[in-house]
Amino acid sequence: MASESQYTELFRSCRELIDAGSCAPLNACREAAAAQLAATGLPSRKTERYKYTDAETDFAPDYGLNLRRTAPTTDPQRYYQCGVNGLGAVTFFVVNDVVCLPEGMQLPEGLTVESLCAAAKKNDGFIERFYHRAAAEQTDGITQLNTMLVQDGLLIRIATGAHIAAPIQIVNISTAGKARLMSNRRLLVVAEEGAEATLLLCDHAEKNGTSLTTQVTEVFAGKDSRLHLCSIEETHSRNTRYSHLYAEAETGSRIVYDCITLTNGRTRNTADIRLRGKGATAETCGAVITDGEEHVDNNLLIRHEAPECTSDMLYKYVLAGNSVGAFAGKVYVAPGAQKSLSQQTNANLCASEKARSYSQPMLEIYADDVKCNHGSTTGKLDETALFYMRQRGIEEAEARLLLQHAFINDVLLRVEPAPLRERLSHLVELRFRGELQKCKGCKMMCK
Amino acid sequence: MLEIKNLHASVEGKEILKGIDLRIGDGEVHVLMGPNGSGKSTLSNVLVGHPKYEVTEGSIVFNGKNLLELPPEDRAHEGIFMSFQAPTEIPGVSMTNFMRAAVNAKRKYFGQDPIPAGEFLKLLREKRKLVGLDAHFMSRGVNEGFSGGERKRNEIFQMAVLEPTFSILDETDSGLDVDALRIVAEGFNMLRTPATSAMVITHYQRMLDYLKPDFVHVLVNGRIVKNGDASLGYAIEERGFDWIKEEINA
Repeated sequence: MASESQYTELFRSCRELIDAGSCAPLNACREAAAAQLAATGLPSRKTERYKYTDAETDFAPDYGLNLRRTAPTTDPQRYYQCGVNGLGAVTFFVVNDVVCLPEGMQLPEGLTVESLCAAAKKNDGFIERFYHRAAAEQTDGITQLNTMLVQDGLLIRIATGAHIAAPIQIVNISTAGKARLMSNRRLLVVAEEGAEATLLLCDHAEKNGTSLTTQVTEVFAGKDSRLHLCSIEETHSRNTRYSHLYAEAETGSRIVYDCITLTNGRTRNTADIRLRGKGATAETCGAVITDGEEHVDNNLLIRHEAPECTSDMLYKYVLAGNSVGAFAGKVYVAPGAQKSLSQQTNANLCASEKARSYSQPMLEIYADDVKCNHGSTTGKLDETALFYMRQRGIEEAEARLLLQHAFINDVLLRVEPAPLRERLSHLVELRFRGELQKCKGCKMMCK
Repeated sequence: MLEIKNLHASVEGKEILKGIDLRIGDGEVHVLMGPNGSGKSTLSNVLVGHPKYEVTEGSIVFNGKNLLELPPEDRAHEGIFMSFQAPTEIPGVSMTNFMRAAVNAKRKYFGQDPIPAGEFLKLLREKRKLVGLDAHFMSRGVNEGFSGGERKRNEIFQMAVLEPTFSILDETDSGLDVDALRIVAEGFNMLRTPATSAMVITHYQRMLDYLKPDFVHVLVNGRIVKNGDASLGYAIEERGFDWIKEEINA
């Protein structure tokens, strides 16, 4: 039996319950998604974009779903301490797939944060206009599975010309208890013309339980808007994450997407970014630190569909233990997308004999006046540098740590704003020291 | 301070050092000369415990301790410093962080607390001035984008900060222009005390002029074949090594 059939069967048998716990715009997309999922199935290693991560196997276990929309028993705002010193973020929580919005929260002018279903109640057609628009054309089985089963999600809307200074932090928490739990999350970000905002997306998991999350994020960057998304995963070995970002950038807009994996179980991050309008920019970077049996696969596709667009990918991995790191990045330049500029860099450091790294940078170009570079390196720690440091009295373990941190640091240096960058740098150091689970004051065990 | 007896060492199975005997006392500067491939750098690397070099026979005693039993970092803590022939780049590790790690590692070895931030910055400032290294180098990666001369200056700067008792200068003079050589050599001389010693590998008379070594040794084919004072160094500068080789063969 193919893995997806247990979910399509669940969908068929619980359709009423799913619909009842959701809203019309989401319900309207389910049938087509189910049909497409049945047709394509979940991706396996035979699927080109999934050759390093076998989704079919990851989805094979029988995961339960919270279709009855049971709310979390604790107040996440009080229970979890995910604040970053000096960041001044407005913070929202999503526990499993339940959006927890505090009542009466004062938001900066021009910023709307609500659940998709609450937004749909306004009947202004906004959700219908954007929901599943960027993702609908995709044949990706996991996106379809998410669309088929998702019951609610978050909408972040930044009004025309609004510059939201405070970062918007969304903390996703998996609390499976002792069960195996699947959560299907959805995030819709609409930055209207000239809008600016920074989003911090944090993924955590409580130490008990086994979780599988699918997260589909759709981003619409309107003309001349600026959106910065920073996604940081700190979960544990029994957490499986499939995240999909579908972004559309209009004329003159700029999307920055940082994707950082500090601790995890199995992770697949897909990002499909379309530069649709002239002069749009996409900057993506990623840092991955793994050990043990961890698996991280970042798969990116940036499409230059209009002239004078710019894109940049910088992904760095430090792999230890038996871990696996995969990177596949493709830049597609459509016919007529002249004066495209793109840079693609993937560098991997295998810090153990058994760590494995797969790297696949790709270019597909159909315009003749473009400048596109790509490069990939995979190697071990620099033994000469290591000895140089030991000669100066730095212990070998400390020297390795410094070298690994330095290797990944040029990704961290790109992270904005500064308080987040500093916090991240601290977390990375803790991670390399194997002390990340000691995060002060937090109820979660990230390792 | 340092006593090397019958030292044999190999690299990748090939014997390079074939029985070295050398005694270096407190406050002495010894210069090691010899043709390319004679084993000068091998001897330096063996002293600092480079893992690529295997000691097959002999002993090295440093201030009463069996050096061969110590890992490279402990040798450094005990007071051995090597100024590398080709100092490597460590991109992303800033000079400040690098030096802090080195200073604190030494303090930890001797049971001391990490150095207070203010004291550390003052120390860096003082020692930088000694070798004429600008402040902006401290925020750059170790040797990252440094010119050849800057790298060598940086070696002497690190030596000044770490205050070793025994320094090995492996062709620290190579690649330096006249002014840089003077700064490096003067910096080194300023760090000399009656309790510090050095082993200097050089090919140049100018270095002999500055350092005024107490002893000069000539290494040929893995053995010390001739010992003398500074005049031996000048003789080699003038006449090369062939006459020494002929003496041995005669």
